[in-house]
Amino acid sequence: MTTDTLHEHPAGADVPVDPPARKGNPWLPSFHGVGLMTRIELRRRRPSTKGYVLYGILFAIVIAICLAAAIFTPPQLSSTNFEIVLIMVLGVGMLIAPSLSATSINGDSGEGVLAPLQMSHLTAGDIAMGKLLASWTVSVFALVALSPFLIYTFLSSGWTVVEMLTTIGAILLVVLAFTAVGLAWSSIAARAVASVALAHLTTGFFLIGTLIAFGVSTLLFTEEATQRDRYIDWETLAPEAEEALNEAYMTGDFSALDPDDYQCVESEWAYTIAHTEHVAWILLTNPAVMITETAPIVDPETWEEDGRAAPGLFANIHSMVSDARLGPDDELDDYIAYDECAQLFQEAEASEMSEEELEAMWAEDENRWIERQQELANLERAPWLGLSVAGVLLVGSMWIVIRRLRVPYKKLRTGTRVA
Amino acid sequence: MTLTQDAPVRTDAITVEGVSRSFGSVKAVEDATLTVPRGHVTALIGPNGCGKTTLMLMLSGLLRPDAGEIAIAGHDPRTDAAAVRAEIGWMPDQLGSWDNLTCLQTLTLMGEAYRIPRATARARGMALLHRVHLEEFADRPARVLSRGQKQRLSLARALVHDPAVLLLDEPANGLDPRSRVELRDLVREFAAEGRAVLVSSHVLAELDEMVDDAVFMSKGRTMGEHAAAMVADARLKYRVDALDPAALQEALSRGGVEFEPTATGAITRIADEANAAQALAWLIRQGVQVHRFGPAGSALEQTYMAMNEERR
Ligand SMILES: Nc1ncnc2c1ncn2[C@@H]1O[C@H](COP(=O)(O)OP(=O)(O)O)[C@@H](O)[C@H]1O
Ligand SMILES: [Mg+2]
Repeated sequence: MTTDTLHEHPAGADVPVDPPARKGNPWLPSFHGVGLMTRIELRRRRPSTKGYVLYGILFAIVIAICLAAAIFTPPQLSSTNFEIVLIMVLGVGMLIAPSLSATSINGDSGEGVLAPLQMSHLTAGDIAMGKLLASWTVSVFALVALSPFLIYTFLSSGWTVVEMLTTIGAILLVVLAFTAVGLAWSSIAARAVASVALAHLTTGFFLIGTLIAFGVSTLLFTEEATQRDRYIDWETLAPEAEEALNEAYMTGDFSALDPDDYQCVESEWAYTIAHTEHVAWILLTNPAVMITETAPIVDPETWEEDGRAAPGLFANIHSMVSDARLGPDDELDDYIAYDECAQLFQEAEASEMSEEELEAMWAEDENRWIERQQELANLERAPWLGLSVAGVLLVGSMWIVIRRLRVPYKKLRTGTRVA
Repeated sequence: MTLTQDAPVRTDAITVEGVSRSFGSVKAVEDATLTVPRGHVTALIGPNGCGKTTLMLMLSGLLRPDAGEIAIAGHDPRTDAAAVRAEIGWMPDQLGSWDNLTCLQTLTLMGEAYRIPRATARARGMALLHRVHLEEFADRPARVLSRGQKQRLSLARALVHDPAVLLLDEPANGLDPRSRVELRDLVREFAAEGRAVLVSSHVLAELDEMVDDAVFMSKGRTMGEHAAAMVADARLKYRVDALDPAALQEALSRGGVEFEPTATGAITRIADEANAAQALAWLIRQGVQVHRFGPAGSALEQTYMAMNEERR
């Protein structure tokens, strides 16, 4: 095709071109522009040999972990191995894609290849979206490279295909959002070192900082509860009474003790109940938590009948997050006051006869605990806040990038030239 | 946009009126006024840091002026920046190229960025590579190019969309003498095709033969009439050297000719070539042994030096 046109126009002759006329100063992206910009970026950012070696090492590590996950997949259903592979996909994406995008604009501007593109018919939106997609594509490559492990571990995970696609979609969205954040930093900071550091700091803030923020803000929502205990005052005990008590503790027979010999003291102590339900939303903004919240619900009691694997990594994280969302369980967490005197004297008879009752009480306790676990595991999934955070990061970052790429410039990045 | 056929009646492709721009406290351009008609080559001359690049960036619609009026082929960059950019072929002074891509790929992709169909863009890219004598590098990556070759690739890149206005920012930098001569011929060709060309440079000797007009800039201001008069005056100057300088000077004084004495002869003003021939014949008749007779060197260079502005 191209050789034909070359023959039509002999060497050196002028080839007439007719680019369309333009008006105003458009900034909206177009299909043609975004596609072209993505192509340009993918071609020109093909890694060098050194880059390939680095990617090779990274992938060797990731593949070793995935291989281990695949090999140690037990014969029965188990979702944790699959979830580890998903985490690898997320990790590789979050590590590479924002690093690439974070040098994309200030790097180009420093090399002097940005301004000629801005002069062309590509709009700020075309350049921004093209660069975003090109960097993000790398995480798609990571996904494709890891797909054999993904598929192999998926087969024994008890997940449905739709569930897998949902979670992978969430992962790709999170990577896209943080790629956009990297791009925004590269449009703001003049130097690549600064923008890469800022991009990873932002990622770190959302992945780890939100956990710390959750922990710290829990302290603001604590309830002081007091607990009154009664016990025998050993200080005032006569020597023979003390001996008798020790004897009684050894034998478990308290009937010989005379209540009058023992003085009871009361002590009050305070403990705190953390009302995590007020700050659990901080956890939900965490992108990793958001991804686990898209995973299927696994009932800790009925998973076998449901055709699921036993609750794996994601299901357990969901339970932990649900625990924070629901806050303390009054019935479970209530302390039972300790009353040594009452145990020894008043209810001596009562405790003797309650062997079965005691068992029933324990069973009830256990049932309540199981119920709570079931409630936690089945609590409705809450990825929405995390999804909105990713959406806001994505849209906000791209808005910044497009604004910073629009020419004519009013203000320049401090300490840079246009060309 | 075929230049020769439907060129509008308007002849000034670039008009600039009282433009200024500062970066923080640095006043890069304070007051620039100039016009470049279609088919003309205008030089923008001034010392380093006088604001040539900043002015070109404002013309190209990349940088917003703080004040003043600009029109490029009738478009105002403030309201119609995209139309301005479409008219302009800009060769930046900073050399940037996509190192991984070949020269032909670079030009093809750049053409596509101007919405030229890929096959046409490729054909035009090849034609342009021929024009700047880079055809043998068509399939080699841009990173192997030397500085001067990159400069020529950058020139070809400025032409992919057949612009009506060319802004060349120090195009002669890093070119070998032969390439400079070729550049001069190319620039004249661009003007002959009807394009308006604004060339900034401080390699003045080359400019002399390349340009129709010159705009001098100093400390962010264009020098206007005063400088133009100085160039016109400098163009009149002839240097005459004789074996006996004293005899030459005496003959000139006797004939009532104004001149500046030099160590080897004199510098005098002669209006045109016919006058020069007559003057030479007259000197010979006076018995002066003239061994050198000609224009007194680069008019632009003389003016530049005479402006006597310190560098920033
Ligand atoms: N982006 C910028 N930020 C701050 N100062 C600048 C910037 N661009 C140019 N300048 C200053 O403006 C003046 C003119 O620069 P420039 O137009 O590049 O000069 P020239 O091209 O004539 O050598 C210089 O003093 C330069 O330091
Ligand atoms: Mg300059």
